[in-house]
Amino acid sequence: MKKWISVLLASVLVVALFAGCSNSESANASNDKKGDSNKVEGKLTIWTFFGQVEDMAKEFEKKYPDAEVEVKIFPGDQYQTKLLNVLQTGRDVPDIFDLERAYIDKFINSKYAANLSDMGAEALLKDYVPYVQALGRDSKGDVRAVSDHSSPGGFWYIKENAKKYLGTDNPDEISAMVDSWDKIIELGKKVNKDSNGKVHLISHYGDVYNVEAYHEKPWVKDGKLTIANSWKKNYEIQKEIFNNDVDAKLEFFSAGWGNAINDGSVVLNAMPAWAGFMVDNKDNSANDKYGLAKTPKGFYMGGTYRSIYEKSENKELAYKFIEFITSEEWQQHNLETTGNMPGLLSVYEKNLETFKTPMFGEQNILKPYYESVKEIPGMKSDKYGEEVLSKWRKVAGQGIKDNADIDEVIKDFKKEVQNSFPELKVD
Amino acid sequence: MRTSSINKSKYGFYFVLPYFIAFLIFGLVPIIFSLYLSFTKWDGFSDPVFVGLDNYARLLKDTFFFKAIGNTLIIWILSIVPQLVLALALAMILNEKFIRGKHFFRAVFYFPNIVTPVTLGVLFSLMFDWQTGSVNKFLMGIGLIDDPVNWFNSPWLSRFIVAGVIMWQYFGFNMLVFIAGLQSISEELYEAARVDGASKWDIATKITLPLLRPVLLFTFITSVIGGLQLFDAPLMLGNGPDNSTLTMVMYLFQTAFQRFDYSYGAAIAYAIFIIILFFSLITMKFSKMNKVEQ
Amino acid sequence: MKANDSIVEKSFSFSKKKTKKEFNSKSFLGKFAVYFLLIAVAFTCLLPFYSMMVTSSHANSDIARKLLLVPGSEFIENYKRLIDTVPIWRGFVNTVFITVTSTVLNLYFSALAGYGFSKYNFKYKNLLFLAVLGTMMIPGQLGIIGFFKLMDSFQMLNTYWPLILPSISNAFGIFFMKQMCDSSIPTEILESGRIDGCGELKIFHRLVLPLLMPSLATLGIFSFIGKWNDFLTPMIVLFDNELQPLPVMIAMVKSQFSTDFGAMYVGIVISVIPILIFFSMVSKKIISGVTAGALKG
Repeated sequence: MKKWISVLLASVLVVALFAGCSNSESANASNDKKGDSNKVEGKLTIWTFFGQVEDMAKEFEKKYPDAEVEVKIFPGDQYQTKLLNVLQTGRDVPDIFDLERAYIDKFINSKYAANLSDMGAEALLKDYVPYVQALGRDSKGDVRAVSDHSSPGGFWYIKENAKKYLGTDNPDEISAMVDSWDKIIELGKKVNKDSNGKVHLISHYGDVYNVEAYHEKPWVKDGKLTIANSWKKNYEIQKEIFNNDVDAKLEFFSAGWGNAINDGSVVLNAMPAWAGFMVDNKDNSANDKYGLAKTPKGFYMGGTYRSIYEKSENKELAYKFIEFITSEEWQQHNLETTGNMPGLLSVYEKNLETFKTPMFGEQNILKPYYESVKEIPGMKSDKYGEEVLSKWRKVAGQGIKDNADIDEVIKDFKKEVQNSFPELKVD
Repeated sequence: MRTSSINKSKYGFYFVLPYFIAFLIFGLVPIIFSLYLSFTKWDGFSDPVFVGLDNYARLLKDTFFFKAIGNTLIIWILSIVPQLVLALALAMILNEKFIRGKHFFRAVFYFPNIVTPVTLGVLFSLMFDWQTGSVNKFLMGIGLIDDPVNWFNSPWLSRFIVAGVIMWQYFGFNMLVFIAGLQSISEELYEAARVDGASKWDIATKITLPLLRPVLLFTFITSVIGGLQLFDAPLMLGNGPDNSTLTMVMYLFQTAFQRFDYSYGAAIAYAIFIIILFFSLITMKFSKMNKVEQ
Repeated sequence: MKANDSIVEKSFSFSKKKTKKEFNSKSFLGKFAVYFLLIAVAFTCLLPFYSMMVTSSHANSDIARKLLLVPGSEFIENYKRLIDTVPIWRGFVNTVFITVTSTVLNLYFSALAGYGFSKYNFKYKNLLFLAVLGTMMIPGQLGIIGFFKLMDSFQMLNTYWPLILPSISNAFGIFFMKQMCDSSIPTEILESGRIDGCGELKIFHRLVLPLLMPSLATLGIFSFIGKWNDFLTPMIVLFDNELQPLPVMIAMVKSQFSTDFGAMYVGIVISVIPILIFFSMVSKKIISGVTAGALKG
């Protein structure tokens, strides 16, 4: 027995040793890529946190058979730490790295992201969804990151459920029923009463932030924190939603939230278009089950952006890749295979009347997404936006639970902001 | 000519040398470098800029850091007191002759200690999840509660859970330490006490506990150093409502490696060091005073 | 006076009798209570692990809705989703590799330095030993930021060196091994070795190390457990997923599968079960080692 273990241990060690030593030598493998300008060849390394990039790489290789793309996926929230670490050290740096919308700003305003405008990216983004192309710009307005998709959201509902509690499953009618928060509150009270508190109209008062957040002015202007009046109004709306049990109090992306989409304890789930994997579709049980209505305002959630490393030795090839993912060809393919919404308006327009997914049956879901995605204002991300917003979420969320006065919330909020960003003026 | 013993003695120096070299490179230099960084502004995207004492001045006004100190102390006390009581009680029971299956119990009690804290943190965060966790399901199943309890929504419940996890993980280890201490108490003492007709309670309070005192103190002191560095398990359980379970080292980690404020993180590290030093000295002083009294 | 004495005596003997009697009649109940406590604590120690195993074999929708007491049939499905994104077995192998090499280094150099401090007289010996003890007071996180930057300039980031090499300097290990050498290595053996013409290092390898084996086993257990659980350093110095040890992978699982509880539970099961098996095989050794270590340390 003991011998057996030691043999096993030893062999395990040997394997680990070899594997441990043979780590990435790939990034700087291909220096000699310059052939004639038409031939696309060489090897690219991409770092991402997003599994579907592998398909992107495959399609790229299909189009340019002489190119090779290595995708390294880093799941979990340690990705940005690792990325910054590798950028700092300057060794084994990928040619292309992915950035999440939440922290894109720090990276595109650093010396690590190449200026894509100089490489011609403005032309690629001419027909883009306004908010998508704006987010990839640095503080001077140059493009330093691009995305191949937009991520609009809407109310997803189980049709049967909607018929029962809202009296209809027609998307346009439902959209009209919930085109303002006041209407949502009134309707939510009714749903709550009709179901004896078992079913709620929306999943969480946080939906208000998700929808309103990117219609607001930036939090920080000229080094000063500004709290728009609309945030105060939103706070009161949220309190009313919370206190009247309009929401099921299931936090965004919590387990119960995921469950509610499937079991119907929430009538209208505010979901981004990419969240289809949350639906339990075993044996196609979800086919034709859902409908899609518009939220009071258009909203989007998340987004994966791609930058080229400034000192990459494969910049040309990397730019080819960027060109590829901003092309109709790829975005059409991506829409068809994964249902991810395109970044190009033209791809939206081409598929408006034809695109359907099994889950939503006969509904043309591109339409509501298209309409809302167009109305989201294009804003540059800034250093503070996301972090300040998340602080507001946190403090206001606590205030709502404690039924606190708005002035108290603002006081706590300022304290939190000042603490993280001592350089800001908060008063 | 020198004698052989002096000649050999330099080998002793060579033998301890690797330690000092390794400590210099991997211990001391990073510590000094951290000190330098704590006087700079450095976010990882550009080079460090010297700013003097700015980070420390910021630290003195940082209410979150003070909150983190408070949280760490609260969680530590919440976990150490019941942990030592339970460990001591179990050690004394398992030291009794009539108990069967001693080894089994020791092994089972010790087991949580060898499971990775990160794993425990994730496991407990899942079990106490208010929507899907088994704890709520169980409590509702036996009818103790009607609606699920949102554990991590209350600052004190969250702290109790974090403290509970820590206690659960370490009581077995402390129990083994106490058993070792108990076994070193001479059997003759007990024998003599029994001849004198002392009850079990008397033996426990008049003989065992006083003799076990050094071991208890040792455990207490080492747990100060360990307890103030609480990190992995609480990290997995989250910051808690109103940052109520944010510990000092978590704050260091989040500042330096999630918000990339490396230089401020270095200042926090030094502050933590001073706090730990302070509390270690207090406990040591306290334990010395006790010894003198005896 | 006399009467007083007898009263005291009487009452004393009376109370003595009473306690004895009570003890006999209560001894069953007492034992019952003691065993009840033991079993209850044992139960709370094992229950989370049982719950984890059962839950890992159910579909997400069931985990969200029901209290699960018996195993289900979805383990393989959950496992597949986990394995798709997180190479958890790879993490396991990595952890074993890092832990074993660090432990070996730690033991060897602790024994060497402990022996050096114990059996040789050299300049500033006491001062140096005090310095070793002093370093035990320094919390691990103090230098972590500088450590990261320094490893960068050594080009050691994203390798195992920063995880393994620092094991050479373990102050507790030296302190522990010095105590052991003081008590269990007779100086005569060293003299006899010298007479046989062995070099000093050879004496250490051939004569001292074998004698230190039991203490090395004890120290080894501590070192092994400590390294096995190491989380912060690898998370900071390693970039490649393929190189990550188990604790980092588990943290990764937690943030990646925020709503996929089945996959998360499977990840936890994988991180616990092998230790559970290993522990149940050699628990006697580990426990006696820890007990011995606790006493001497």
